Amino acid sequence: MSSGTSPVLDIRAVRKTYDGGVEAVRDVSLELDAGQLLVLAGASGCGKTTLLKMINRLEEPSGGSILFKGEDIATLDGVALRRRIGWVMQGDGLFPHMSVRRNVGLIPRLSGQDPARAELRVREMLDLVRLNPSEYGDRMPDELSGGQRQRVGFARALAGSPELVLMDEPFSALDPITRDALQQDFKILQAELGFAAVMVTHDMAEALIMAQEVAVMREGQIVQQGTPQALMSQPTDDYVSGLLETPRRQMRAIAELAG
Amino acid sequence: MNANLAERFAELPHLLSGHVLLSMSAILVGLAISLPLGIHAAGRPRLAGVVLNAASVVQTIPGLALLALMVPLLGGTIGYAPAFLALMLYSILPILRNTIVGLQGVDPVVREAARGIGMTPGQRLRQVELPLALPVIVAGLRTAVVWVVGAATLATPVGASSLGNYIFAGLQTRNWLSVLFGCLFAAGLAIILDQMIRLLEVAARDRRRGLAMGVGVSLAMLIMVSVAPRFIAFERAGEGGPVIAGDAADLADETIIVGAKAFTEQYILGALLETRLEAAGARVDRRDNLGSTIAFDALRTGEIDVYIDYSGTIWATVMNRPEPIHRHAMLAEMTGWLWAEHGILALGGLGFENAYGFAMARDRAETLGVTSLADLAPLAAGMSVGGDAEVFTRPEWVMTRDRYGLGVMQTRAMDAAFMYGAVRDGQVDMISAYTTDGRIAAFDLVVLEDPAAVLPPYDAVILLSPEAAANPALVAVLADLVGAIDDAMMREANRQVDLDRRTPDQAAQWLANEMEAGGADR
Repeated sequence: MSSGTSPVLDIRAVRKTYDGGVEAVRDVSLELDAGQLLVLAGASGCGKTTLLKMINRLEEPSGGSILFKGEDIATLDGVALRRRIGWVMQGDGLFPHMSVRRNVGLIPRLSGQDPARAELRVREMLDLVRLNPSEYGDRMPDELSGGQRQRVGFARALAGSPELVLMDEPFSALDPITRDALQQDFKILQAELGFAAVMVTHDMAEALIMAQEVAVMREGQIVQQGTPQALMSQPTDDYVSGLLETPRRQMRAIAELAG
Repeated sequence: MNANLAERFAELPHLLSGHVLLSMSAILVGLAISLPLGIHAAGRPRLAGVVLNAASVVQTIPGLALLALMVPLLGGTIGYAPAFLALMLYSILPILRNTIVGLQGVDPVVREAARGIGMTPGQRLRQVELPLALPVIVAGLRTAVVWVVGAATLATPVGASSLGNYIFAGLQTRNWLSVLFGCLFAAGLAIILDQMIRLLEVAARDRRRGLAMGVGVSLAMLIMVSVAPRFIAFERAGEGGPVIAGDAADLADETIIVGAKAFTEQYILGALLETRLEAAGARVDRRDNLGSTIAFDALRTGEIDVYIDYSGTIWATVMNRPEPIHRHAMLAEMTGWLWAEHGILALGGLGFENAYGFAMARDRAETLGVTSLADLAPLAAGMSVGGDAEVFTRPEWVMTRDRYGLGVMQTRAMDAAFMYGAVRDGQVDMISAYTTDGRIAAFDLVVLEDPAAVLPPYDAVILLSPEAAANPALVAVLADLVGAIDDAMMREANRQVDLDRRTPDQAAQWLANEMEAGGADR
């Protein structure tokens, strides 16, 4: 088995039809290599979040298959699969009754690591996301700022050393300055640890800045997929051009100000 | 400390232990049912609706009715079992509802995060959903504790001893200190338990092991200390009374359960039976404050061994005979019927009659020119009649009403303790009175004549359960009481309790002394 060359994630002709006939995802195929960040972009209701949730089996596909490191996820235990894949969500999703230390150490502890090793892992993770473990470890989530909470969310997702991280609008609840800082830190983190990631966002500027690859979705289908440069230079249709218009206009305006 | 207060404190270990044992077991079993059921139903909206509706229906049944309903449901069993069952059902709704509401109220984002990071359903429930729903669930538990500890006072009429004995007995004998005593201890117990559970929740939330241990230990101590008297046999000193030589060892090591209904005369007679039986060497267990038909059912099933009932009551409510007959014929026919149908032995009459009669204040009766029930029909519109809760559903009232044309009278149910004062003070025009009540003479009331003989005779008779009837020593001890108390003695004994504020035990002692004196005279 040549796992070195096969993609981390291989999505093949996946469909999702809800009871009542609504087709949330239609015939989507995608591949993702190690260390890459794929962004699923599009307006709300386009099926990007449904697609994301099918990857760790929070939702079950109605057709097609998804391979994680060459294995069909339909044959894997859902809980075991989710522990191997990091999960970061909008508005952090931290457990409000657990300290930062317990939140971050949850996956190592559930996976049966001994407490001393789990504690070591917690300190390592908090250092990685630039939170001082001795200062923040014992705080409760409601004693942190929005940015700090999202950093804890990243630390929790990464504590199980996943090869793939799924992120659902992880930066959308943050103010612009915090968001920018976190985006930069995330890119450094990814480069350092080498995990692959899929991120859902409706913010095209964020998609262009962060992704190696962008898939634009509309009504459950991928309308264009490519590098940020390819999207900018050759949008396939008016829908994609429309989505790119906002960041373009902002860039022009800033460029004019700079003179 | 005065004698009344001292006597109340003497009863405390027995009644408090009964109360704590009953309410704690009801809550624990209620919790063991409603918590898993709530967890199971929380994720199933349709099931949650069904179980919540069922629990709400139980909750709308008044506490006393729910307790009383359990007695026939359990085939006539009285005491702990029906009280436990009713209170357990009572505790379910608040815990069940709050478990469902608490779990459904967990933030969906947090719920999804728990799934998304790879927690199993069990881990999600134990580590995320239950801890987050805990404050709501605990609030439900605290409601249940306060309800059940309060409602356990209503266990008294179905024959389970609880702090309600103070309240029911105190109400009947107008011993307000006893009523207050019962209320204060029941309320105090509810408040202490409620606060302990609150502290346990704080300890759980803040992960304070020391606090949790401290509260847990005090809670366990409280329960153990209060329940202990139940399991430690303690000698009750024989409270005097004439010891009949030769009989002393006849009932040695036997436990006799003596029942009594909820009014003064019954408490006195219960105490009298107790003294007699203890003098003969028996251990006596008292079941006071039984509802009228509950007492009979309990005797039939052998839950109690002996109690005093009245021929007319058995005739009308147990034998369902529509028309009364002559006093001695009734006694004979009732005795034969009880023996043939139920194996119950009617040992004989105590010698007095406590009839239902209808009484008015003398001056009011004279003003209206009323001496007989037959005089009332033209005056009935606009008059009111007071009686205990039972009398207006009994054949005695129904027949009196129909025979004398009193249907237009306004009926006002009240506790028997209040009706004599109410008619004296003109708050009602007439009351259903017990003819042996000392207050008839003391308040200057007149009992109206019953020319049509609608009201049956009410000879007080000693009834023995089938099992007790087969015990010759027991029959011999109680046979001494047959014909030993006349109307005047019983009225005086009742008066001593109702008006002189003596205790039923003291009045029973007076009766025993009178009987001995009378015996010497004969």
